[in-house]
Amino acid sequence: MSEETPSSSPIGRRVVAVLAIAIALDTLGQLLWKLAATRLPATLSPDALLHSIARDPLPLLVIGVFVLQLVNWLLVLERVDLSYAQPLTALSYVSVCLLSAWLFGERLDVHKGLGVLLVLVGVALVSAGPARRKSP
Amino acid sequence: MSARLVGILLVLACTAVEGLAQICLKQSTRQPGRRASWIAAGVGLFVVEALLYTAALQRLEVSVAYSLGAMSFVVVALGAAWLLGEPLPVTRRLGIAFIVAGCAVLAAGG
Repeated sequence: MSEETPSSSPIGRRVVAVLAIAIALDTLGQLLWKLAATRLPATLSPDALLHSIARDPLPLLVIGVFVLQLVNWLLVLERVDLSYAQPLTALSYVSVCLLSAWLFGERLDVHKGLGVLLVLVGVALVSAGPARRKSP
Repeated sequence: MSARLVGILLVLACTAVEGLAQICLKQSTRQPGRRASWIAAGVGLFVVEALLYTAALQRLEVSVAYSLGAMSFVVVALGAAWLLGEPLPVTRRLGIAFIVAGCAVLAAGG
């Protein structure tokens, strides 16, 4: 594997890789979290949470996914501005929408399609800025 | 107040906490001397957000809850401009308007 080859794009290949991993982990985390939330008690007191997790450790798996996500996210932030990097992870709205319809039978109608489309256009516009400002 | 409305308000509370957490994490890369403190603050805010979002997921579809979370982009773009001095050009302002409109459609979507 070639190391640190200069890219013609201002966004390097390594940045693309960490952003793609961020989107995949976001999607997995959301789907597992929904599953875990439906199995937790209605009252989220510390006592009720601990008892529930002792019986059903799915929330720990969700936490594990988000720890990986946090480590990967710090790699993203070392390379680009926060207000540029975060909007790109919005591609996971599409994957969460499609997979939740498929796995959990969630509604997939005009309202949801239009809402997600507007959000995506907004996110594309928000992310149109430069990846990193020149240092003063 | 319907469970759905409570869920929507919980997600909106999450986006405010998320914005603060992200700004703490970005600060950790800007102030190497206080890196651990900024990361700890960010992680602490994420724990609060996690509890709020779990309560939201008990009341909403994950596709709705997660999409409404796009409001965090609005919080982050405004917060990063205000607190970190990151740019807020006209395209980013327009994007904020689209995101707010999209979330309004999703929230109204029954």
